[in-house]
Amino acid sequence: MNRRTESTCPYCGVGCGIILNVDESDSIRWVDDQPGNLSSDGMLCVKGRFGTTFVNHADRLTTPLIRRAGELHQATWDEALELIAERFLAFRGSFGSFASAKATNEDAFVQQKFVRLVMGTNNIDHCTRLCHSPSVEAMLQQFGSGATSNSYSDYEAAACIVLVGCDPGSNHPVIASRMRRAIDGRGTKLIVVNPRRIDMCDRATIFLQPRPGTDVALFTGMARAILDARLENRAFVQSRTEGFAEWLAALDRVTVQECAEICGVAAGELSAAALLYARPPALDATEPGSCMVWGMGVTQHTNGTANAHSLLNLALLTGQLGRPGSGVSPLRGQNNVQGCGDAGCVPDSLPGYQKYSNQALAPFEELWGGNLPSTEGMKATDMIESIAQGDIRAMYIVGENPLLSEPNLHHATELIRSLDFLVVQDLFLHETAQLADVVLPACSFAEKDGTFTNSERRVQRVRRAISPVGESRPDWEIVSDLARRMAPAVGVDARQFSYAGSSEVFREMARLTPFLRGLSHERLDREGGIQWPCPTPDHLGTPFLYGESFPRGLGKFVPVRQSAAAEELPDTEYPLVMNTGRLLYHWHGGTITRRVAGLMESAGALPIATHPDDAASAGIVDGDTVVLFSRRGRVSGVAVVTDSVRPGSVFVPFVKLGESAANFLTNNVYDGVSRIPEYKVCAVRVEKRRERRRDDHGDAPRGH
Amino acid sequence: MTLLVNGTKLAAAGTILDTLLAAGIDLPHLCKDDNLAAIGACRTCLVEADGRIVAACATPAANVKIVETESARARKLRAGVLQLTLAMQTDATPTTSGGPLAGSLAETAARAGVGDTPFEQVSGQAEDASNPFFSFHEAACILCGRCVAACQSLQHISAIGLAGRGSRTVVTPGAGDSFRGSVCTSCGSCVAACPTTALRPKSGGAA
Repeated sequence: MNRRTESTCPYCGVGCGIILNVDESDSIRWVDDQPGNLSSDGMLCVKGRFGTTFVNHADRLTTPLIRRAGELHQATWDEALELIAERFLAFRGSFGSFASAKATNEDAFVQQKFVRLVMGTNNIDHCTRLCHSPSVEAMLQQFGSGATSNSYSDYEAAACIVLVGCDPGSNHPVIASRMRRAIDGRGTKLIVVNPRRIDMCDRATIFLQPRPGTDVALFTGMARAILDARLENRAFVQSRTEGFAEWLAALDRVTVQECAEICGVAAGELSAAALLYARPPALDATEPGSCMVWGMGVTQHTNGTANAHSLLNLALLTGQLGRPGSGVSPLRGQNNVQGCGDAGCVPDSLPGYQKYSNQALAPFEELWGGNLPSTEGMKATDMIESIAQGDIRAMYIVGENPLLSEPNLHHATELIRSLDFLVVQDLFLHETAQLADVVLPACSFAEKDGTFTNSERRVQRVRRAISPVGESRPDWEIVSDLARRMAPAVGVDARQFSYAGSSEVFREMARLTPFLRGLSHERLDREGGIQWPCPTPDHLGTPFLYGESFPRGLGKFVPVRQSAAAEELPDTEYPLVMNTGRLLYHWHGGTITRRVAGLMESAGALPIATHPDDAASAGIVDGDTVVLFSRRGRVSGVAVVTDSVRPGSVFVPFVKLGESAANFLTNNVYDGVSRIPEYKVCAVRVEKRRERRRDDHGDAPRGH
Repeated sequence: MTLLVNGTKLAAAGTILDTLLAAGIDLPHLCKDDNLAAIGACRTCLVEADGRIVAACATPAANVKIVETESARARKLRAGVLQLTLAMQTDATPTTSGGPLAGSLAETAARAGVGDTPFEQVSGQAEDASNPFFSFHEAACILCGRCVAACQSLQHISAIGLAGRGSRTVVTPGAGDSFRGSVCTSCGSCVAACPTTALRPKSGGAA
């Protein structure tokens, strides 16, 4: 007889409700959908339904490992934690930590508490740095809050949806289903902006395929078109915003035509898209609204924050937020990337995005009984680059595999290798863990209790369905154990890390985070998932933000200009632009999904999408094994010849298949404000792989 | 708006079936998925309403006054429908190797007191094991259409449909197509909805 446990999907930021069916041998036998879940509405995708077998994979780490004489050896928890406690004390001042957007809010909260209170630094960050940090920076500046403003149900209430630089069919499949339902059933209009023709384009009214890196020009052109047609929402601009005049002045001499030319799209199409977004046709008696939805195509550029500003300016100009059927949605990639930031695993603020003012620090210092660092810490990408100068010498990396996710992997590997002391805590001995001095085995989502917060700010329960694999432990328990061992040496009361369970951790987080204060495990168990802000126990949660005002008061227009499209553009040696992204059947770098047999059967080789013109000039036909070269490395894969990509560009998902991962090629250059890497643009050359000669010793990756 | 069900007054809510299920009254409904509107294909939910036999899932409760679910006529017709449904299968795979609802037909028949079918069992024999996660076996399919509804109306993928007519009707990703070669995204909602072992997880069953 199966045990059934209601929980939340561990893959993307949609946060679908799942029911884990577990058999007598403690293995997950089947994953059911939850018909009543308000975020997923009874739907699941292939990863949620069939992709959780990694939990019981033979590769799971089952004991701590300690490096002795160059090799990792099994160790006891006591040995491992005592060693770490002793070594970490020596690196206070040159220490950094990555938290995991795959772990729970409770895991994240305890980790940032440890880093701030015990290690005395704000050098804590997580993978938001690599995905939506520009969106968060821009939204915080313009609105005062860095989250998706609407609910998923608003996509089905919208008259128009704009999808910019995202591919929900692959990355957020259940959101794609909801959008298809709106388009097919209700007649919602769809605008797709993407350098690649994604599946959703089949249902698009307008498809704009701009040159990579020209988003500011695109959105500026759209703003110009709206102003030229006098379709701006003057009432909203006047009563709800500031900075309009300065922003307008910067647009003064800009024309739609010149913007369209920079982007390589037709001016008429660009205008049509702008007007449709600003004033979509009414579908029924409700006031028609538009949802602006975007992904990494906007953010992963050296001009990522400028891109996000230009997009948010459009939402302010048209007033397309703050009411049902409208809103701004950065689609969050990981199951708990929203929650990991909410819980304070960011270098520039405390839990709840509270900046380091004395007023904000006071309740933390009082409750935790210690002084906290009050200067901003280093961002994730800066921590890695700072290893070269010796500013970071020891790292504690939890549930993240930077040696697949950082740009320019040969360079990142050299840096991580040169750390004096590295601790990695995860499910598998992945690329980063293999270089660690100590490896700690963590529980998967199926083995622990806690909460995830999804892309629509809904806090949902995660429940233990199976026993911990091997000696693995939940992340928050491991960090607490370590913290208790170190506490006396740094003058912290060890009882600060003596939680009876994850619900007690949540209670402390809710107490210190105003927008979570009305939530508890008990309430979530009783009522199901609830959307923050939820300031009091009788508050019902918030389906959409900015109805009456913005957290900063008025929404702020921020003037931005189109700068160079990218740091590295094609030349004669590397004539193509490489764009990176994802596949339906894999999860990011693939550390998890490469351990699900059916997903590997679905997508086992790295597809390199090449335009027919470029394929012809390189003598490549569909299915050929090809090699891509950039200045930083090379990878091989299988050519998929398709006109879904622009001529002069290739698309490569960043999952590692075989020995090939796109991040061996990507460029370690960063956006000035958010420090996100430019994953979306670098220059490459594609060649058909030559027949292997007898004296050829294979194509092992070379260092560059 | 109220109606009298087996002598008890109930508030009408949606279809007759919705009203019954909300009141905790047991009635077979093989083609109705929790996630979706009724299909009206399987006819296992026949009841007597104001003296006429109707499919409870396809009749608005507000349109009727008196419903008898256990009249001799309704029970006999439902049993006959279940016997005919059982005759659509020639596959005897244990339901434990199917999806989470694979036992639904067998359980429904047992509850209605229907054992073996007196009719000749006839079915198509198409098989499709091309998808990495599940397989399709026509010999167990009762053409209820739940998989198709899950694919089209729940997930809006429309990878599969019902093709052909009458006894030659078949669930298919398209003539000559396989699941693997179709636009199927392997979401598994069809497997979750199947009330027989026609769609089976390759992991060895959900039960």
